[in-house]
Amino acid sequence: MITQCLSIMRREIFYLWRDKGLRWILIAGPLLGILLFYSTYSRQVLKDIPTAVVDLDRSGSSREIIAQIKNSEDLEIVARPGNFDQLEELIKQGKIVVGVVIPENFAENVLLGRQARVEMILDGSNMVYATGATGALLKITRAAGARAGIKTLVARGVQPDQARNAYQAIVFREEPWFNPTLNYAFFLVVALALNVWQQCCTLAACMNIIGETGLNSWRQVKAAGISRFKLFFCKSLAHIALFMLTVLPVYVLAYAVFNFPLHCSFAVLLLFTLAFAVALHGVGTLASSISRNAVDATRFGMIIALPAFILSGYTWPLEAMPQFIRHAVKILPQTWFFQGFNFLTFKNPGWGFMSDYFLALLIIAVACYGTAALIFKVKEM
Amino acid sequence: MRQVLNIAYYESLHVFKDKIILLLILLVPALYTLLFGAVYFSAVLTDIPLAVVDLDRSGLSREVVAAFKNSPKFKVTGEISTYEGLQEGMKTGAVRAGVVIPENFEKKALLRRGTEVLTVYDASNLIWGYNTRKYALEVINHFSTGRTAAYLAGLGMTEREIKGVLDTVSCNLDVWYNPTYSYTTYLFLGLVMMIIHQICLLGVSLTVTREKDRNSWMQYIGAALPRWKIFLGKCLPYLVINFFNYVLLLWLSARLINVKAGGSMGLIVLLGLLYGVIITSAGFYFSARAPNSLQVTRYVMLLSVPLFIISGYTWPMTHIPGFVEGPARLLPYTWMAEAIRTVTVKNLGFGYVRGAILALSALSVLSVLLAVNFDRRRKPPRAGGPVINSGSGYPQEGP
Amino acid sequence: MTVVTVADAVIKVTDLVQKIGRKTVLNGLNFAVARGECFGIFGAGGSGKSTLLHILAGIDRFSSGSVEVFGYDAGKSESFKKHTGLVTQERSLFQDLNAGENLDYIAVLKNAPRENIPGLVRRFELEKILGEPAGTLEDGAYKRLSLACALLNAPDLLIVDELTQNIDLHSRQIILKELSAFLSGGGTCVWGFGEPALLERMTGIGWLEGGRLTVCPPGEAQSVWEENYARLPECGEEK
Repeated sequence: MITQCLSIMRREIFYLWRDKGLRWILIAGPLLGILLFYSTYSRQVLKDIPTAVVDLDRSGSSREIIAQIKNSEDLEIVARPGNFDQLEELIKQGKIVVGVVIPENFAENVLLGRQARVEMILDGSNMVYATGATGALLKITRAAGARAGIKTLVARGVQPDQARNAYQAIVFREEPWFNPTLNYAFFLVVALALNVWQQCCTLAACMNIIGETGLNSWRQVKAAGISRFKLFFCKSLAHIALFMLTVLPVYVLAYAVFNFPLHCSFAVLLLFTLAFAVALHGVGTLASSISRNAVDATRFGMIIALPAFILSGYTWPLEAMPQFIRHAVKILPQTWFFQGFNFLTFKNPGWGFMSDYFLALLIIAVACYGTAALIFKVKEM
Repeated sequence: MRQVLNIAYYESLHVFKDKIILLLILLVPALYTLLFGAVYFSAVLTDIPLAVVDLDRSGLSREVVAAFKNSPKFKVTGEISTYEGLQEGMKTGAVRAGVVIPENFEKKALLRRGTEVLTVYDASNLIWGYNTRKYALEVINHFSTGRTAAYLAGLGMTEREIKGVLDTVSCNLDVWYNPTYSYTTYLFLGLVMMIIHQICLLGVSLTVTREKDRNSWMQYIGAALPRWKIFLGKCLPYLVINFFNYVLLLWLSARLINVKAGGSMGLIVLLGLLYGVIITSAGFYFSARAPNSLQVTRYVMLLSVPLFIISGYTWPMTHIPGFVEGPARLLPYTWMAEAIRTVTVKNLGFGYVRGAILALSALSVLSVLLAVNFDRRRKPPRAGGPVINSGSGYPQEGP
Repeated sequence: MTVVTVADAVIKVTDLVQKIGRKTVLNGLNFAVARGECFGIFGAGGSGKSTLLHILAGIDRFSSGSVEVFGYDAGKSESFKKHTGLVTQERSLFQDLNAGENLDYIAVLKNAPRENIPGLVRRFELEKILGEPAGTLEDGAYKRLSLACALLNAPDLLIVDELTQNIDLHSRQIILKELSAFLSGGGTCVWGFGEPALLERMTGIGWLEGGRLTVCPPGEAQSVWEENYARLPECGEEK
């Protein structure tokens, strides 16, 4: 019994190994993924957003503002165009994202209590830049406004103490939780690599049934009279074991070599990944059962696996999606996995919370395997 | 030319007879576009669940709370009132941001003794993180200005005088191209370009492997038929369908999904044509090299995520190291995504996409040359142990 | 083996070697086929017949040696394909097209006049199957259709692989008749087969065995066959 099962598993590993394309995809895909994404996000945090300053005043006040921009970690002055038109051109060419224009007679106007407008331009077309830069600009705006306001008040004869008090309203301190440095690499690299991993696994899972029944050797299996359940159970075990083997180097690289933060225990993360691997394999098996050939199976599986990351709400949040989509995506195991992965790795909210996620993955797995078995039965008859 | 058109005719016949491939190239692109459109339809994050922990319960603390309550971006949840509750709520995702006002806040603030309001936000998802941070800063700036005005009024200044002082230095933040910070305007066309890329590639990449799977590739290479005729005839239907999809998807994005899409029609057409030529030729090239339909489908499927990430469309190219940027610059998607943003979202003219058009033209020439020089002699299989699914053919149920 | 020199050679093969994996399937072949000949490549299944014929047709790469067809290098040139027709052993027509569409489309690929189609349909008695999908045709009809497709461009050289094996007798008659007509019209034919009954139809035989090709007249091949292989061992007979 056990030996038969082991033989089936061994043969299944051989099958996947001898399918050269699949072999390389499974071995290299997830690894290449994490290395590529780690390189891409190697700067990790979005600092030094390219900024240009046009200083038409060249006074102490204008230099104060420029110093503030320089001090801001988020912005980096990369150009000092001579006038507004040049600045505009730089933005259009995409060479800078933020432009600050300090008008002529800025200092003088401030002293005389006349209006002085600092123009700040932001290219909003890339939100990664835009949201980052806006935060920095809002802070600079507040500080610059306060300094100038105090000067105006003093110039109008208000006591310096009172003038400062007017602007010293209340101190707000900001604390980004779970990812205090707003690190994009922490947020995205492992998740993207896992996205590639789940796609690679889907490719393998889609072969589960059709890879067997679509070959002439299927007649041997039929003639041998082995129980179909046992055969596919053992095959699936081999697949899932392989999936876990291929995700291991990704995790090791991420949490042992790159030192990404991990707030849950490694064992829990692996256990959760295992639950997902089973559910994912169920989906692949289902795609495999309804297909006439391996290419169709691959297509069906991937039509789900490709958009799954976007639909999972890992980036654009589920809460911001329309109601019907928010509910519909819950039938995808990827949604539960990527949501749960975020919770586990960043927040570790405990078993009581995570049990729902395990349960959901389990239900999806049972439903998919069950349906696949039914379809298989019907087809055999 | 008659031969080319005939080959094109029969290729279309193939496509129309294979129901799945037909659905794949005619329906799936539009479906994906609508699906993603629904996902990103709200475009901006609003109603961010916010917990207020007011340990002071004074007039001033209520003013702070009101400032957040009045912001349309936040939705204050009443259930959480302690710091521990906030910690728990943030962990389970019940709230994504919090404001904590310490005890004796008003007293200390009036006495100018150091006290501060703590604003926290969930940075485990940086889309939440950065947007919440921005919204919080907006609320705080607004609130601070109000406080200053109130203080000045206390000094006996008139409303006009106060306005004069506050306006002295007004920093005017002018957000170009995407003033509402719409996530859809930012991301959507990039996704659409990726959908086009993948669907077209998936379709074309089967054009030769399908013949290999069924041995009929011999009919092409056994006939005295110039390579360019085979290439052109087989690619023509895909070029047409691809351009049709390009136009349809852009139209859907602009009309149904409300993506900001303006710009010169001529440039949009030119970019679409170049993009189509590159992808189609690349697909043909892969197809001519791949052993069978199964393998080529697998490889093509996996391209989308890496290509999208390294293109600089989201995480900007200024922050991507050179050894990743270099290869990314050889990919049509990198150029196309940036160019389509420049033309449609930024509404800029030819001068600003000259580089991209040059690069795409060069890539077109290169990919056509690569594709048209495919090997007309089959190579004998290489040595090695048993292999599966690596020759012509793949598992399929008998007729 | 001596190099056969024929003044009016349609095919000239010198030291042809083909390795597939680690196995040398063709190990230094030398032969020539003259115009008007019906040259039979005789060998058992797996002896390399199809490998050789695919090389002659210019669709497979080979390891070394030289192959000339109509004076062109069959490893590089495309020009000679205008004058050749190929029927493969495995099914290689367009499965998803029906028989008529196959004729039409292959005429397109060969740039052959479509006017050739009706005559071939008549001679090969394809009228009834024109509307049927090529993929589901029976072997006999399939081979008739394949041969008709190969003849669309009125080739001077016909390369056929196992044309008459395991097919119905009526189709076999038609095919043999048309091949004779082709030859008497001045055409040259290279025919791979494993059926000894066909030996006598050839003008020359290349006996392919163990990667080597021995050229001999049909009569000699016939007697080699009869002496060594024609009588099957009786049941229970010790070697």
